[in-house]
Amino acid sequence: MMAIGKFSARRMAALLHKEMLETWRDRRALWMAVCFSLLFPVMIAGSTTFFVKKHAEETTRLALLGAERAPLLERRLQSDTLQVDALEQGEPRALLAGDYDLVLQVGDDFASDYRNFRTPQLYLYVDSSATAAGRAERHLQERLGSLQQLVAGQRLVARGVAPQLLAPWKLQVRDVSTPSGRGAMLLAMVPGLLILTLFVASLATSVDTSAGERERLSLETLLLQPLPGWQVIAAKTLSVASMGWLGALLAITAMVALMPAMPLAELGIQQATTTAGVITMGLVLLPLALLVAVVQILLALRSQSFKDAQTQLSILQLAPVTLLMALDMSRVQLADPLWQLVPLVGQQQWLKALLVGDEVSLPLVLAGSAASLSLVVLAVLFGARALRRESLLGAL
Amino acid sequence: MIEVESIDKSFAGQRVLRELSFEIPDGRITALLGANGAGKTTCLRIVTGLLRADAGRVLLGGRDVAADPLLARRQLGVVGDREGLYERLTVKEYLTLFARMQGLAGAALRDSLQAVRDELELGELWERRTRGFSQGERMKVSLARALVHRPQHLILDEPTRGLDVLAARLLRRTLLRLRAEGTTILFSSHVMSEVAELSDRVLVMAGGRIVGSGSPTELVEQTGSDNLEDSFVALAYGGGATRDANREEAPA
Repeated sequence: MMAIGKFSARRMAALLHKEMLETWRDRRALWMAVCFSLLFPVMIAGSTTFFVKKHAEETTRLALLGAERAPLLERRLQSDTLQVDALEQGEPRALLAGDYDLVLQVGDDFASDYRNFRTPQLYLYVDSSATAAGRAERHLQERLGSLQQLVAGQRLVARGVAPQLLAPWKLQVRDVSTPSGRGAMLLAMVPGLLILTLFVASLATSVDTSAGERERLSLETLLLQPLPGWQVIAAKTLSVASMGWLGALLAITAMVALMPAMPLAELGIQQATTTAGVITMGLVLLPLALLVAVVQILLALRSQSFKDAQTQLSILQLAPVTLLMALDMSRVQLADPLWQLVPLVGQQQWLKALLVGDEVSLPLVLAGSAASLSLVVLAVLFGARALRRESLLGAL
Repeated sequence: MIEVESIDKSFAGQRVLRELSFEIPDGRITALLGANGAGKTTCLRIVTGLLRADAGRVLLGGRDVAADPLLARRQLGVVGDREGLYERLTVKEYLTLFARMQGLAGAALRDSLQAVRDELELGELWERRTRGFSQGERMKVSLARALVHRPQHLILDEPTRGLDVLAARLLRRTLLRLRAEGTTILFSSHVMSEVAELSDRVLVMAGGRIVGSGSPTELVEQTGSDNLEDSFVALAYGGGATRDANREEAPA
């Protein structure tokens, strides 16, 4: 019995060796995997840098028309992040079309109204179609609000009234988010992209080893060998998964390597992912890589032709991102242990935590991975049945 | 011995094989002749276990192919109508793969590889990847793959199609040597001269049935024809086709 098992394992090892050689010698598939795996970390790093710089360094530029009637405004509004330029004249639309985010015009009677405790008029011109308009307006409203409170308080004090009477409470906002929490928000899209990498990196290989082999009639030659169907599907799954998994591992490594170059510290995010974290993320993705590979192979084997297989798998690769986005937008608690047993969802949650240095529950990871591997076994057995389909043999 | 017992096969309601029966004794070369669509390839695929018959059975060396396909495939070498090569593997890697899948290892593996390399003159191709090989080179590698584990039964589907003279001669020489060693050989072909030269026995198929069998000489005698080609035409298409062809060739 043991001898039979040994012979059987040796036969499968031979096939696995062939599948690996074919997979890793396919330059087109290899380039596709490497390029996509490196592309998205670079894109994430670039967009994060752009986002952070835009929000952390950008200064609101304000044109103040009629400043001579309200010198206090010019002095008090000026700050590091609000640049106030007092202009004697100018047309608000032209100024907004130029270098300014906002135009504040002081009314003609501002000085006399202010002295006589009447409410003087200020006119704020905003181009709401500009992307920075909302942020700039909020910024100015905050500064003007503070100044208004200061002046009102001084007036009340001058009349012997405690200014606190007009302020039954004062609201102070305190941000309780942790650096890892903010990091999780910023990097929320990375797990989905890493899972997408599994699909993209293994696509060409899975089509080639299934629909491609069928079209070249080498599958027929393979099926004439004394190997059970499950060994054929298992060997192909392992080789396809190796491409997808190493693509994802490359993407994780690139992501972690690029993190120090990203201005995360300016947002208070500390990079907590280490080499051990990268390895853990890779291990977490391994069962999913196998599941993705076997599903791709089964679909490609069912397709009518090589091109049909490419089309079907291209559509399939959108499925995880769409599914994860839909679940994210729904009110489902994906962090719930039961959800983490679901392939894709579990891996997404664990990657999300690991990327920012949070801990994941080992029993949950093991249980979720076992669930994914169970599906792999079922899919391999199903694939073995599919190999007996006569339509696989091409024209009859 | 290959025994085909009353096999039936239909595709999408169309009956391709009808109670087909024949036997091929060991150490003999048998040719399967038939017009396109006669059911030759389907018959060969059922014999190899790639397809299942709707009824009847195929025995290889006394073992039912459908009941124990893995065991049957260990005694079987097949050269299909396309070579089924892996273009990213060298000839050596390709043959090693199939030898190992057939259970060969160690010294037996090395000896087998060396034997097919010498017999089929693969020395120059040995370390080359098969991409870009000529039709003759592809057929040689394909034949080497079918022979590397020394199977008792060899099945070939139109093996000389597209081969040049030297490659076809090498193939014929190899088949004759294998017959002398006791291998059971079944092949399909449209080349009558090759069938006449190689075959001990010819099976003529038409409409999914065997319509004639015997040695090439016997077939010629049975049909009262001048040669094997005329015999085949008479059996596969009926005598009318032969008469029509003769009339066209006759001088006015």
